[in-house]
Amino acid sequence: MLKWSQFRAWRLSVLLVPLLAAPLAAAGEPFQQGGPIGSQTSDGYNALGPVVTQPIEFPHYIHVEKMGIDCLYCHTYARRSAVSGIPRLNKCMGCHQNIESVKDKPRIKKLFEYWEKQQAIPWKKVHDLPDFVRFNHERHIQRFIFDQERPTREACGYCHGDVGNMTTARRVKAISMGWCISCHEKDHKVDAVSLETSHGPGDCWQCHK
Amino acid sequence: MSGSGISRRDFMQIVGLGGASAALAGCGNTSIESGAELVESYVQPENFVVPGVGVYYASTCTQCPSACGIMGRVREGRILKLEGNPNSAISGGKICGLGQAAVQRHYSPDRLTVPMIRKSGELKQSSWEEAMTLLTNAVAPADKAGRRVILTGPASGHEQVLLRALVEAGAATDHVVFDALSTAVAASVNRRMFGVDDPVTMIDRAGVVLSFGDDFLGAGESPVAAARQYARFRRGARRGVLVQVEPRMTLTGANADRWIVIVPGTEGVFALGLARELLQRKEAAGSVSPALAAVIEPYTQAEVSRITGVRGDHIPRIASLLWEHSPTLVLAGRYPQGHAHGSQNMAAIGMLNVILQNHGKTVMRAAELPFPQLAPTAGSFKALRDLNEAMAAGQCRSILMHGSNPVYSAPAFMGFADNLQKVPFKAAWVTELDETAMQCDLVLPLLSSLEDFGTHVASNQSDGTEISIQQPLMEKLYPQTRAFGDVVLDLLRKVKPDSYKSFPDYYAYLKSAVINAKPAYDPAAGDEEFWENALSAGVLHREASLQPLPGMQASPEMIHQPEPAGDDLQYPFRLIPAVTPNMRDGRPASLPWLQESPDPLTTVVWDSWAELHPSTARAMQIREGDVLILASAHGSVRAKAYLFPGIHPGAVGVPIGQGHESYGRFASNVGVNVLKILDPIFDRDTGELALYSTRVSIAKTGQNERITKDEGPTTLQQDRKLVATLAADQVDLTKETPFVIR
Repeated sequence: MLKWSQFRAWRLSVLLVPLLAAPLAAAGEPFQQGGPIGSQTSDGYNALGPVVTQPIEFPHYIHVEKMGIDCLYCHTYARRSAVSGIPRLNKCMGCHQNIESVKDKPRIKKLFEYWEKQQAIPWKKVHDLPDFVRFNHERHIQRFIFDQERPTREACGYCHGDVGNMTTARRVKAISMGWCISCHEKDHKVDAVSLETSHGPGDCWQCHK
Repeated sequence: MSGSGISRRDFMQIVGLGGASAALAGCGNTSIESGAELVESYVQPENFVVPGVGVYYASTCTQCPSACGIMGRVREGRILKLEGNPNSAISGGKICGLGQAAVQRHYSPDRLTVPMIRKSGELKQSSWEEAMTLLTNAVAPADKAGRRVILTGPASGHEQVLLRALVEAGAATDHVVFDALSTAVAASVNRRMFGVDDPVTMIDRAGVVLSFGDDFLGAGESPVAAARQYARFRRGARRGVLVQVEPRMTLTGANADRWIVIVPGTEGVFALGLARELLQRKEAAGSVSPALAAVIEPYTQAEVSRITGVRGDHIPRIASLLWEHSPTLVLAGRYPQGHAHGSQNMAAIGMLNVILQNHGKTVMRAAELPFPQLAPTAGSFKALRDLNEAMAAGQCRSILMHGSNPVYSAPAFMGFADNLQKVPFKAAWVTELDETAMQCDLVLPLLSSLEDFGTHVASNQSDGTEISIQQPLMEKLYPQTRAFGDVVLDLLRKVKPDSYKSFPDYYAYLKSAVINAKPAYDPAAGDEEFWENALSAGVLHREASLQPLPGMQASPEMIHQPEPAGDDLQYPFRLIPAVTPNMRDGRPASLPWLQESPDPLTTVVWDSWAELHPSTARAMQIREGDVLILASAHGSVRAKAYLFPGIHPGAVGVPIGQGHESYGRFASNVGVNVLKILDPIFDRDTGELALYSTRVSIAKTGQNERITKDEGPTTLQQDRKLVATLAADQVDLTKETPFVIR
């Protein structure tokens, strides 16, 4: 028969094994937690996202920084739906069919290849929330861009960082629950002119399914 | 546990904590991910497609033959949920549980995805080329004798047209339509008495409905349409009263104001007793011929009470209730049909509507469909019996099966599975490998109903005539699955190339057929416009008024009731194979939502059970959960006892639909198949299987197992007065008037 002290040690090991095994199990998956060791997100959290290699190395900085295109021009679904989606391929082609100067660039050639095959570009998700979390782009854009009249790039940047200065997007914000709540707890103006403020919802079911 | 020094409490802590951490590790993605999944992106979608926002497309539910119009919510190319289509006069924007669960048939992990061919005794994965060669050889008209049969479930629309064409072209000798829960007895009686198979009954226009076991709200012919009518019947200025007479309570019985239990099979006697009572009124006296009146005359209150077990004073009370609240409606469901004298039961009940002068008010003839070739063909059991005999005699050369599972549904006495083996070539179209498919030489993977095109027509339409259009709600999940219509069209092109070569596929055929119907609906529209409108509306609707029924033709023999059979000492109980709203004929058993949604009357899930009246159980010292063996002369099943006050004390009810041997992971090894132990008793006039005539004995095994059910420990309102009820003999029915809601 086990003595109590022996049993306690044994019990501790029983408890620890699954807890230790969880991160080990996760290590086998393609998703690597965080960026290089010691890297920090732009808001100071220790969880910079990994570099995601996309089928086309899409230069956000040319479109946003150089050309001054509004985020919502391409990511048009963000103001209409819970998900922002990816621009439809014919939207890319709508412009690029008429921009002769860059037609020979390797990235644009790739774009034309997809178009000729009538094949959707297999973009990878960069900000993929767990399935038990509900996030609604439409609500946030309504509040910050349409109600508070903040600039689009700034409002999108609250969560996505300064994508306008990146090539393909990389996660630079923590986007963890505590991080979401830290913003929901702040006083946000209800519109551009009033002094009235309100918080984001703090109820579990607003975000969790 | 005490020997090892770990208490139960410690053990639970360890298991609990270990389980919780294992669950966390097993949940997959628990924090934000980058680069692991692809975004759903489009090349050039329709303008209304917005990722994350559902789009609704109209289609038709094919889970039962009632052809309800449905809408499917589609997001990012995937069908998520079904709703009713408000354009449909049948569903009126509503849907039932069976319809909801169609999504699970589509996404089932047990879908058959490739053709299977039997090679050296086993079904092996194969190619469509090989499958089509086999199939073409099977249908090729040849000198060799023997029937080449197409066996389907209830059929309508253009699928039926193609099957008939296949028979006409000589690719098959006959099209057999089988329905395990057929109502062919009712159809035959109506045809003989009133000239139509399926008169339209309008619950919403009646002040009082007297239903002899018609479960129109649960597992009837068209539960959604009937429930909508019932809502109007209840909500109108005059709240209708429903009286249900049946041996085992159905969902409709549970909704009734007055539920009267009756000895199984004596419904006709009760109807004649009511007829006698009604005919005593001056205004009703001449409504039946003297010959019929002579048959009715002996059924006095005392005599009816002796035979049916219903208290005699119910008869004058129900008679006055019916007489005083005209128009009324008398309905008859499956219970009275399921006996050797089923036709006589149905005729006696049908006659009540004539005596009560309901014809032309609540009982009418359906409007003529502009395209009669699309009208539904109801299935029958007799058809399967005849086929079974032909197979046993070695007269069948090939059999192609679709939309039915006869190996499961046929009672053991028929020896159907053995006889099927005598057929040289057997093929089946299925979405999941069921018992019938497992016996076949060739099994073809079907598209799910949410991936296919089609047209469907319901019988018993009370609001004009409607052709329901079925269209895919998403791209097919498995590239090797094919539409039934496509394969039939392939066969037709082989045997009759001139007529069918212009249609590359079933879609093209259907589109051209629907456009051909344009003059009857919208002659001004362009062809494409008409087709697009039909798809987006989901229905082709035509206003048409109902027609009166011709006068009753009835001979005394048609309503003559046999003397009830005496007690059977060896098999003392009457078996009631109950048709439940979730399981119907057993095909929904592979859908977990229907398995897990509690049976509306007993709340039992994922199982079969044997319903016994508490008084019978007490007399036999049976408790809930006691494992019983119910044995008929033709087999036995094991089921747990469930004490159910809604059943005749001399009967035992077992739900139909469980006990599948092979039908995917969700249906297999759940419960028992009560259809297997039925006695070979048939309706004398039509030859239909008498579903409720089997007698069984009950033996206790001594085991007791817990019944998995939602309700609390006691069946009777958990010892609290949740719903006020009164014993039937404490109520004066004459005072039970349809009352006005203020």
